[in-house]
Amino acid sequence: MSFWWLARKDLLLTFRDKKAFITLIAMPLLLIAILGAAFGNLMKDEEVSIKKFTLGVTDLDQGVLSKVLTDEVFKKGMEDQIKLQFFQEKDLLQKIKNHELEVGIIIQPDFSKSLLSGEETRIKLVSTPDPGVKPIIVQSVVEQFAQTIPIQTMLAAKQETGAVQQESIEPKDLIKESTLSKKTKPAGSFQYYAAAMGVMFLLMTVVQGVTMMIREKEEPVYQRLQLTNLTYSHYLLGKMMGLVILCFIQALIIIIGTNLLFDVNWGSSISGVIIMTFAFVVNACGLGMLAGALIKTEKGFNVAGMLGTQIMAALGGSMVPLYIFPDWIVSVTKFFPNGLALQTYLKLMSGAKLTEILPAVAGSIALGLLFLAIGVIFLVFERRGKYA
Amino acid sequence: MELLNVQHLRKSFGQLEAVKGVTFSVKKGESFGLLGPNGAGKSTTINMITGLFPPTSGSIFLHDIDVVKQPKQAQKRIGVVPQEIALYQEMSAWENLKFWGRIYGLNGSQLTRKVEEVLEIIGLSDRAKDKVSTFSGGMKRRVNIGAAILHNPELLIMDEPTVGIDPQSRNHILETVKQLNEEGMTVIYTSHYMEEVEYLCERIGIIDHGVVIASGTLKELREKMEDRSRIKLTIDGVKENAADINKVLAGHFSEKEFQFQDNQLIVFHKEPQLVLSELVHSVTETGTRITSVDIVEPNLESVFLHLTGRNLRD
Repeated sequence: MSFWWLARKDLLLTFRDKKAFITLIAMPLLLIAILGAAFGNLMKDEEVSIKKFTLGVTDLDQGVLSKVLTDEVFKKGMEDQIKLQFFQEKDLLQKIKNHELEVGIIIQPDFSKSLLSGEETRIKLVSTPDPGVKPIIVQSVVEQFAQTIPIQTMLAAKQETGAVQQESIEPKDLIKESTLSKKTKPAGSFQYYAAAMGVMFLLMTVVQGVTMMIREKEEPVYQRLQLTNLTYSHYLLGKMMGLVILCFIQALIIIIGTNLLFDVNWGSSISGVIIMTFAFVVNACGLGMLAGALIKTEKGFNVAGMLGTQIMAALGGSMVPLYIFPDWIVSVTKFFPNGLALQTYLKLMSGAKLTEILPAVAGSIALGLLFLAIGVIFLVFERRGKYA
Repeated sequence: MELLNVQHLRKSFGQLEAVKGVTFSVKKGESFGLLGPNGAGKSTTINMITGLFPPTSGSIFLHDIDVVKQPKQAQKRIGVVPQEIALYQEMSAWENLKFWGRIYGLNGSQLTRKVEEVLEIIGLSDRAKDKVSTFSGGMKRRVNIGAAILHNPELLIMDEPTVGIDPQSRNHILETVKQLNEEGMTVIYTSHYMEEVEYLCERIGIIDHGVVIASGTLKELREKMEDRSRIKLTIDGVKENAADINKVLAGHFSEKEFQFQDNQLIVFHKEPQLVLSELVHSVTETGTRITSVDIVEPNLESVFLHLTGRNLRD
């Protein structure tokens, strides 16, 4: 149990240290405020846009696909969000001009024919000068519809010629459509940055914790600790436990804070979010303990810690969105505590259940414990060649 | 009964051999002083005895516990007072002692009782709830000692525990150590202050250049000096006239009986009063000016100087 007393002592000292306490409690709140200032208005607009709005439609095509788009996609598929009204082109433009309508589309005469033949086609999107995100919603729906139609057409054509076997006709691409089902929605930008910045902030807390640990190693108390019953494994475990508790508290502040203040949806699986947070914190703190065991001076760690955190944050998706990186980098960053955590949070935000993230949880905890074990081994070996 | 047995202890750090075969033993209940100048190998020896790091070769036994192989077993029975203050400054004396007690495996009412008892011993019961950072140097050193005796160690190792503190705290610490020793705790005490070692320790080991060059009771060590006192002559320009002084003294004293140190000529003699006038006369003949004369009775400092040829603080 000596490791617990070590962890308790570290927590006590952290809460007494005003600077550390501010970093722990005040900084996450500040982070939430910055996020709110940056994305808050957008978030409000999104909330407004969710309310049902009227989409004016001029169908100059009157073809099969324009009917599918208007009747099946907009009218039936989005009846909770959009009310459809058909107008002549002139009337539609007038309504927009008079601000009686905020957004409308004009489907060009060759729309169905062009789509079916795989050629380029256009839909004219018209809106008032300040319509919020409504035109963006309409535009995404139309673009998604236009991209899907040629794929389905192509598959149908291949099916007819028999050139492709049945199993390949079972369209793998269409499996991805499940991610667009009602329950699973891709994470929005505000959600993404709440998770990304939260993860980065926790990395910084780990760096701060490890700095304190190394500072202690340079002080006489560390030598005294080594002369007690405390083994190296208990020493590192105690240090890690204190840091895990600290980071976990901070993570909860970020998650609950962004949820309560800015309606950030961290996903429907609360247990998933909590367990993943714990796993991430174990992973990051384990890595921190390894660094703390390997590095002897605070000065040395300041350079390595800052550089390492920046690289991990950048590649892990905390500074720029993950989707701009090639797939192999995204896969590699799963071995970074923050990379794996962010990708798993995004999954949870998209509607994943606890069972779906269990491999990530297990991997995270296993990595954390592996880092810890290497740190202990290093300390034991270091003792054998230690100087007076 | 022997509590600690150190045999042929060696420690090398790369090319540097810091300890070159230290051998000594300490009896149970004994108070043993370890003397040596900076860099003599004293701290390295102590660090190996406390199990902080293993020796390159040699053995250390505490009772039947092999400290080299089972350092954690040994550490349960050893209390260490480091030279520097090894305490958490932002915690109170009470919190510090509780923490160190817990780390040593104490808990519950036993721990509370022990902390109260230790605070009483170190005379800080009334300041128990104050942060260590608000304490004077002497008070911090007292808590430093307190943290080392919480778990009732059989062997208490104190590494220069009185460095840089006021006389009042120093006296308090010396009395505390004396009391602990009288109550049965075995003590190894290192210090630059030889009067402390003389006051506290029954036996003394003198370590220099990584070797124990002499050990025994103060009386035994004095006998090595053949009970010779020191005549210290402070002389103007002693270095410039050293050759002349050497020549003059050679007729009266053997080489071992005198030495130069800084601006002083030191002569060892059993009956200083008998040779003093002759000595002064001889030295002044060389044309040098004596500014002071001092006769020092044989003590540990003389022994150290005699054995090592230098002062302990060199």
